[in-house]
Amino acid sequence: MDYFLDLVISGLMVGALYGIIAMGFAMIYKATGVVNFAQGEVLMLVAYIAYTLTTLIDMPFWLLIPATIMIGMIVGLIVEFLFIRPMIGEPVFATVMVTIGLAVFIRSLVVLLWDAFPHEFVTSLSEQVIEISGIRLYPSQIVAFITYLVLMAAFWSFFRYSRIGIAMRAVANKETVALLMGIRIKHVYAVAWALSSIIAGIAGVLFASIYDLDPTISAMGLNAFPAAILGGLDSVLGSGFGGLIIGVVENLTGGYLSTGLKSVSGFVVIILVLMVRPYGLFGEPEIERV
Amino acid sequence: MSGAPPRGRETDPASTTAEGMTATSSALLELTNVQIFYDKAIEAVRDVSLSVKKGSLVALLGANGAGKTTVLKAISGILFPEDGTVEGGTIEFDGKNIAAMEPDEIVRSGIVLVPEGRQLFDTLTVEENLIMGGYTTTQRNAAEALERIYDMFPALTGRRHSVSGYLSGGEQQMVALGRALMSKPKLLMLDEPTLGLAPQIIEEIFSTISALVREEGTTVLLVEQNAQLALSVADYGYIMENGRVVLDDTPERLLRNDDICEFYLGFSDAGARKNMRDVKHYKRRKRWLS
Ligand SMILES: Nc1ncnc2c1ncn2[C@@H]1O[C@H](COP(=O)(O)OP(=O)(O)OP(=O)(O)O)[C@@H](O)[C@H]1O
Ligand SMILES: [Mg+2]
Repeated sequence: MDYFLDLVISGLMVGALYGIIAMGFAMIYKATGVVNFAQGEVLMLVAYIAYTLTTLIDMPFWLLIPATIMIGMIVGLIVEFLFIRPMIGEPVFATVMVTIGLAVFIRSLVVLLWDAFPHEFVTSLSEQVIEISGIRLYPSQIVAFITYLVLMAAFWSFFRYSRIGIAMRAVANKETVALLMGIRIKHVYAVAWALSSIIAGIAGVLFASIYDLDPTISAMGLNAFPAAILGGLDSVLGSGFGGLIIGVVENLTGGYLSTGLKSVSGFVVIILVLMVRPYGLFGEPEIERV
Repeated sequence: MSGAPPRGRETDPASTTAEGMTATSSALLELTNVQIFYDKAIEAVRDVSLSVKKGSLVALLGANGAGKTTVLKAISGILFPEDGTVEGGTIEFDGKNIAAMEPDEIVRSGIVLVPEGRQLFDTLTVEENLIMGGYTTTQRNAAEALERIYDMFPALTGRRHSVSGYLSGGEQQMVALGRALMSKPKLLMLDEPTLGLAPQIIEEIFSTISALVREEGTTVLLVEQNAQLALSVADYGYIMENGRVVLDDTPERLLRNDDICEFYLGFSDAGARKNMRDVKHYKRRKRWLS
């Protein structure tokens, strides 16, 4: 039972990171209809820039988070402006192709500007393992989980109460009608990319501070993808929740069956769920767009 | 705000108000020889000139496929998602050419369209729909406008937080109308606002529209299938056929001519015989068009 609980808890911790990244996928998909295959690479880029910043300035953890938010926002806006905005009006499929190209580009860029070796991402968080009633956790894991909860709550209220958040849902619902309200679709797209990069960057920094920083971190994007599909690609909060499920399922599979099946298990779960609910657990049955 | 506006071209006092209109024209909206294509190939509107005076209610009538909706979309600047383009003529609002403006600039300059089929954001609540209608105004103005809309349509007050997709047709039309009024437009364009509604609701919608024009000084361009009803409240009427304006006159004179009533408006003076003559009327019109 203790072993089970241990697997579940550490699964939730990984799942929180998946959930955060999955929210980024959903954010862009919901607003623009595009699956961003460069999500993991944006995460990597923000994490590397944040890493360089920590090597230059001695930064306390509470400052690292706002710094990451700034970096994520700037990266997101630049990527949107350079690569995505010119694609507005082109078929969605073409834009998805651009994100695949973008992924390769960022990966090469990172290896070129930094290197391919692992770096220790030192944060001011203590490395001391904390034991809460028999369960051993690193402080950074706890921080990751709290960040996840905060982000879930923040996005919930963002979509419910902020004008731009409601506008994002309106654009996802009926794009042409959103134009009639005076909503600038380009603004909404840019905000979606900025927010998505911010949360990807936060996930990247948290991940790097728990493990190490090297180019394989970009695989986090693909690892979190099942979470977004499971929760419903157009549901930001659903995707966030999907992360927890995938995290726990992966951990249980790894713990009871075999480590080799671990990363496959997430995909098995989504195949099973999609058979029953093709639009994911929390997704809308259909989205109308132009 | 004044009552019913004078009809004379030179004597409209509204043209000398603070809006900074040119003295040569008393029209708030002026379309001159507008020609519109879809996909660069389908000529949906061949030659439309029409003028809407400030403070007046103008009806735009015509059979299915005449091009009425296309004209409204052109004015709102939302032809581009359907690959429509204005190839000829000018669209002037308040003395400015708006043909090349972005949809959000057009909304900000005071033109709002209630599209055909209501087109609510059906995944959003009633209140969220209304908030989107006020997207271009300040938060404070939007909050005030919201209260005004609930005063205007008390039936909506209790349904604020209902998902709008589940409302009845009549309630949905109220939301659509309320949403358009949130930004206090100078020119309100309505595309078949009574489609599929019960007679009692139709009456309610029409009295609201009349009140907007007569009491609040709003200018209205109304597209309607129900020509008799539209002409009963309008100051002036245009009749379109096959992408052209074929007739324009005062409602009194349009209604006085039996042939016009029969060929273009789809009813004869002898209202009781209307149903019996429907078939014959349809055949005659087809012959007329070929
Ligand atoms: N997106 C489009 N692509 C191509 N042709 C179109 C498109 N939209 C409309 N049309 C064509 O343009 C013409 C005018 O259509 P429009 O919808 O403006 O007519 P309407 O007067 O509003 O008709 P209704 O009374 O049925 O609403 C029609 O022949 C229609 O088939
Ligand atoms: Mg129409």
